[in-house]
Amino acid sequence: MPRKSILAICRHAPYGNALAREGLEAILACAAMDQVPAVLLINDGVFLLLEQDAQQIGEKNLRRNLAALPMFGVETLHLCERSLRERGIDPAQLSLPGTELKLLQNPGAFIAGFDQVLSF
Amino acid sequence: MQFTLVIYGAPHASEGAATALRFARAVLASGHEIYRVFFYGDGIHNGSALAAPPQDEQDLLAQWQQLQQAHNLDLTLCIAAAQRRGVLSESEAKRLEKPAVNIAAGFTLAGLGQLAEAAALSDRVVTFGG
Repeated sequence: MPRKSILAICRHAPYGNALAREGLEAILACAAMDQVPAVLLINDGVFLLLEQDAQQIGEKNLRRNLAALPMFGVETLHLCERSLRERGIDPAQLSLPGTELKLLQNPGAFIAGFDQVLSF
Repeated sequence: MQFTLVIYGAPHASEGAATALRFARAVLASGHEIYRVFFYGDGIHNGSALAAPPQDEQDLLAQWQQLQQAHNLDLTLCIAAAQRRGVLSESEAKRLEKPAVNIAAGFTLAGLGQLAEAAALSDRVVTFGG
């Protein structure tokens, strides 16, 4: 299979829209198929990184899916700095074991650099 | 050029589902090819044979099926997303011990790997809905 540069964009907050979970599942599937995508969290997608007690609403914790990404070769998560700022999230409060978090000031230019974009 | 369409919009809930159909027609009319139409998330409902819209509303399923037959389109429903939403083939209904089969003719169930493969083999991936 030809290797293309693929970017997966997560735009939805966890638990509010099924695409948050299904997007992460698709990212894992791509990585397992040897098409490891770059990942960008933007808009409400930045909420994926916050610690939340999903059990309270009967959901499985999506942070576990995020935490599994490095095992599949996704070792960097790109974050839209403006999305964080707009939501009052301090980047210093964010961390994910085994993953480098990179802040992007210009996500548009970043997105333009990929062959394919999968938007979730 | 080879296009893959990814559809998250459910018919009668999101305009994305109908827009994708019109986009597919326009792609084919312009002489391009469609490598795959991949239905994911709530887009799975496009592949249910049981939807019965009122007669004066558009019937997207019939139109997808016509387009599929005319151009031998690959209409793929993600199997995991389809199980969650209750769109099942005969073998899946049997395996999961569910009382009905409702996948529409012309659609097939397949894994998420088909999305990764389509992204690798298509020139363009265009997403609708969500």
